[in-house]
Amino acid sequence: MQSMLSINHLTVAVNGKEILRDFSLTINPGEVHAIMGPNGTGKSTLAATLAGREEYEVVSGEILYKGRNLLEMEADERAREGIFLAFQYPVEIPGVSTTNFMKAAVNAKRKHQGLEPLDAREFLKLMNEKAQLVDIKREFLSRSINEGFSGGEKKRNEIFQMAMLEPSLCILDETDSGLDIDALRIVANGVNRLRSPERSFLVITHYQRLLNYIIPDYVHVLFDGRIAKSGGKELALKLEAEGYDWVKEELVAD
Amino acid sequence: MENIATQFKSLANSFSKESLALRKEALASFQKLGIPTTRHEEWKYTNIKARLRQEFSLLPAESRVNKAVKNYIASLPPYTYRLTFLNGVFHPELSIIPDLKGVTVCSLREAAAHTGGIVEKHFGRLVDYSQEHFAALNTAFVTDGAFIHIHKNVAVNEPIYLQYFFTATDEYAFVQTRNLVVLEEGASLSLAEDFRNASNIDVQYNHVAEMYVGNNARLDVVELQLEVSNAIGIHTLESKVNRNGRLSAATITFSSPNTGTGQSLIRNNLTARLTGEGAHAEFAGLYFGKENALIDNHVLIDHIAPNCTSNQLYKGVLSDEATGVFNGKIFVKPGAQKTNAYQSSKALLLSKGASVNSKPQLEIFADDVKCSHGAAIGQLDENALFYLMTRGVSRHEATQILTYAFAHEVVEHIQTKPIRQFLCDKLRDELHLNF
Repeated sequence: MQSMLSINHLTVAVNGKEILRDFSLTINPGEVHAIMGPNGTGKSTLAATLAGREEYEVVSGEILYKGRNLLEMEADERAREGIFLAFQYPVEIPGVSTTNFMKAAVNAKRKHQGLEPLDAREFLKLMNEKAQLVDIKREFLSRSINEGFSGGEKKRNEIFQMAMLEPSLCILDETDSGLDIDALRIVANGVNRLRSPERSFLVITHYQRLLNYIIPDYVHVLFDGRIAKSGGKELALKLEAEGYDWVKEELVAD
Repeated sequence: MENIATQFKSLANSFSKESLALRKEALASFQKLGIPTTRHEEWKYTNIKARLRQEFSLLPAESRVNKAVKNYIASLPPYTYRLTFLNGVFHPELSIIPDLKGVTVCSLREAAAHTGGIVEKHFGRLVDYSQEHFAALNTAFVTDGAFIHIHKNVAVNEPIYLQYFFTATDEYAFVQTRNLVVLEEGASLSLAEDFRNASNIDVQYNHVAEMYVGNNARLDVVELQLEVSNAIGIHTLESKVNRNGRLSAATITFSSPNTGTGQSLIRNNLTARLTGEGAHAEFAGLYFGKENALIDNHVLIDHIAPNCTSNQLYKGVLSDEATGVFNGKIFVKPGAQKTNAYQSSKALLLSKGASVNSKPQLEIFADDVKCSHGAAIGQLDENALFYLMTRGVSRHEATQILTYAFAHEVVEHIQTKPIRQFLCDKLRDELHLNF
């Protein structure tokens, strides 16, 4: 089986400072991987690098996505090839509705796949279907992208967009930050309904809380730019109970 | 300027007797003022002398309807009322004149002959032809234009569309066009002035509008300058807003890819004088400059009476080697206490060669006022671009989407629904967006 994502010995620098160092990770189709770790250890750097943010300089190593060299693709091409990043801080864009934005995005992807653009009726049908998934109202989608949205609304909008674009690899960057428990449940339900044997998830989170709802297959602890420990979902519980210090101690003992 | 005097003489027979004295004054003034140079403070960034063909002809150009005119009229939304001018000459057969009680709409020439003293009372009374080069030239030479008079408490519910086509084949023609709009107390009207080059040469025109907004009257104006390519156009709007009157004016300027000599230039001189307590003026502008177009908006809001409010919102999108100029003035005269005036000017520069000169100018001679302004010149937000791209939209399309978002705010400001809708569509077309 070909892996969905294979990151090998990746070192990434921002403004000349190495954030990820010799980082490796493989994700197979259908798997849900959680990346946990204290602040400032490189979690969001990993997300941004995968999505193709230019300020993140890959110093060495490789990233293969479905066997292809991901680093040769621009952010938009990665997206059309099926990578989706749900932002920690979704951007507000006054003057463009989520509906219009999604129309442009869905049709850009279809064009890339050699398909005809959706007509108004087909698009509406798709949108209604996906809006139900995250319990989003139609009025909400005709408003400017994220403008004046609460934290929960912004994250729901991210998951809605994810559903619309039907990606192969979903990266959730601290999607739980700023969410109350109801919003968290709605967002997690949306994600769970998108799980499938062909779709993989990389869930980046500081807290274990989200992983009560999105049950991961693997949990990795990121420390100082590389994976310090990996395990199953029980690792998240241990981290919740005991904090990150023991990981650090183990690392020092090594 | 000898040539000017000769041209005036040859036209003098076609001017109404009543206007002759005024025209002669305006002519003398223009002969003194001449064409402004960049040494002139108001023309510092706009070298009109370099772009305007100096040996211009002010004699009315021929005004045959051509295919471009027909096609354009056919493509328009079905506006109920319209007056159509070709090279400044009124074409009743292309016009739909409202037949409403308390509403007089006709050509200026006709109005001068039939409406008693009203034209004489208002024509040339707002523009300062002793100072304004092009207002002087226009006042001296203009032969026709539109006249609109709305009587007391009459509301015109459908917009009136004033179309100015330029079909000249003589590239030295300098076409003079003119509008006179008088709204009596409590009247309301929505108006569009539309300028279009329907020839295949670079046209030159000089438009002047005088608009009177009476007590409690309401006037919404949209200036459509949608094909700036191949044009040198000067627009002057002088308006006076009386007690509790309200004027909103939006100027939309698009330059299409140039096919001519690339000397296109649009200059807008827009003035509102708030002469009655509680008057309000709202000026909005959106301009798109491409290639080496120059688009210049000079706006002046003159707060004369107390308790008046005004608002300016200007946005420009400049690419290639295009230049934008914004000069927004707010004058608060002594006695204009409790003035509340705001101005905002923003420009997006989409290429290295594009530039904008933005100059706010506040002159305040009263002590109890609220005046503020904001100006921003910049590029698109990289964060927003990245966000759009992570959804699969190319950098190019993301740029178009964000430009749309930036520009849309001004279009949203337009009160007249069919015109707002028309411009929304136009904006999407211009940016090749399919949503």
